[in-house]
Amino acid sequence: MKKILLVDDEESIHLLYREELEEAGYEVHSALSGDEALNTLDILKPDLVILDINMPGLNGIDTLRQMKEKMPEMPVILSSAYQEFKQDLASWASDDYIVKSSDLTELLESVHRHLA
Amino acid sequence: MPELRKDPVLGRWIIIAKERGKRPTDFIISEPASKGGFCPLCPGNEKTTPPEVLGYGGPGRLPNTPGWTLRVVPNKYPALVIEGDVNKEGEGLYDKMNGIGAHEVIIETPNHEEFFTQLPFERMQDVFLAFRDRLVDLSRDERFKYVMLFKNHGRAAGASLEHSHSQLVALPILPRMIVSELAGSLSYYKYKERCVYCDIIRQESKEQSRLVCENEHFIVITPWAPRSPFEMWLLPKQHASSYITQSHDQFQALTRIFGEAMARLEACIPNVPYNFVLHGAPLRSDPLRHYHWHFEIMPKLTNIAGFEWGSGFYINPTPPEDAARYLREVSLT
Repeated sequence: MKKILLVDDEESIHLLYREELEEAGYEVHSALSGDEALNTLDILKPDLVILDINMPGLNGIDTLRQMKEKMPEMPVILSSAYQEFKQDLASWASDDYIVKSSDLTELLESVHRHLA
Repeated sequence: MPELRKDPVLGRWIIIAKERGKRPTDFIISEPASKGGFCPLCPGNEKTTPPEVLGYGGPGRLPNTPGWTLRVVPNKYPALVIEGDVNKEGEGLYDKMNGIGAHEVIIETPNHEEFFTQLPFERMQDVFLAFRDRLVDLSRDERFKYVMLFKNHGRAAGASLEHSHSQLVALPILPRMIVSELAGSLSYYKYKERCVYCDIIRQESKEQSRLVCENEHFIVITPWAPRSPFEMWLLPKQHASSYITQSHDQFQALTRIFGEAMARLEACIPNVPYNFVLHGAPLRSDPLRHYHWHFEIMPKLTNIAGFEWGSGFYINPTPPEDAARYLREVSLT
């Protein structure tokens, strides 16, 4: 079973995403901050990361740069409520950028595509 | 006493707060800390960018492989999209159209640590040639009316990634600033039958008080009514409305004078964040006698707040005559 690390400081996002991703056949692991995600990475070795941007402490963009430094081939999907972080060129290190929505169709399609 | 000054092209008023009289040493900017980590613009990471539309490098180099000295790539997450038609329409009294455009990033160097101002002559010239090459290519697309070319350096100036890059946005409309410059310069031309920018060059060459540096083809001045302390304008001495018509000699002279002006600015204010913007005629326009292409270089040293937003005025604590003197007299060792 493919492992997904979900990084978001909002518990409600974990509840929503976890249910949908597990239903789609993925094993979902959670981290509530960028630091926690980076600490988990070496042990967990996820197949894909879904990463929020606007988080307290280490933000998603800086977390992304450190993740890709460690594991450049691991797909990372940025998932944010905000469009404007697309203007940050460091976001290019991600493999996709999905604007958060209660409809997870786009996110699930991106996950399937990157784990195919 | 403070002084109100009017920009002769735009009619924009500026407050020169003479009593504040800020010198270069009043603008202390700490060394920007490199954030480190993965950089999508670095060599070896070409697959994290969209396929390049222009690349300079050694002979035999394949596109999207290392070995480049400059790359131009479309924005991975563009605000405007390249495919489709403009489809202008109205919604009552409001106008709208499809968000058609091109958004490209010019990666100026393969070296993550090398700033634009540190580029050797040939590679800085490549940046100016890349601007021309992209302008020429994008001008073939009749949906686009204007290409805005700009650089943000430093977080305070809007640079989101420290790897040196500039950007362009091709637009299906003329930006309001360019419309205002075209209108202002045309109005002056109708009245005096001369280009206002040519007149600025003549007056600044004669008076010298706002002259920063010059060579055979270009002049750099601090404008009469600058929005920012140490703002500089770089203008070709020979009248031309379009950037792309420059000769080989002019590109060489442009590189020399741009390099010198920026070196002077950085010597005055180390680590200065800045923006520069290329102002030129609309795409595919015939040569315009009233308009004159130029670069505007804006150090980011003051904040834009309620008064500026509300009035359109800017408050500048450094008179341009003082700024020009500091820039002229600074030691370039």
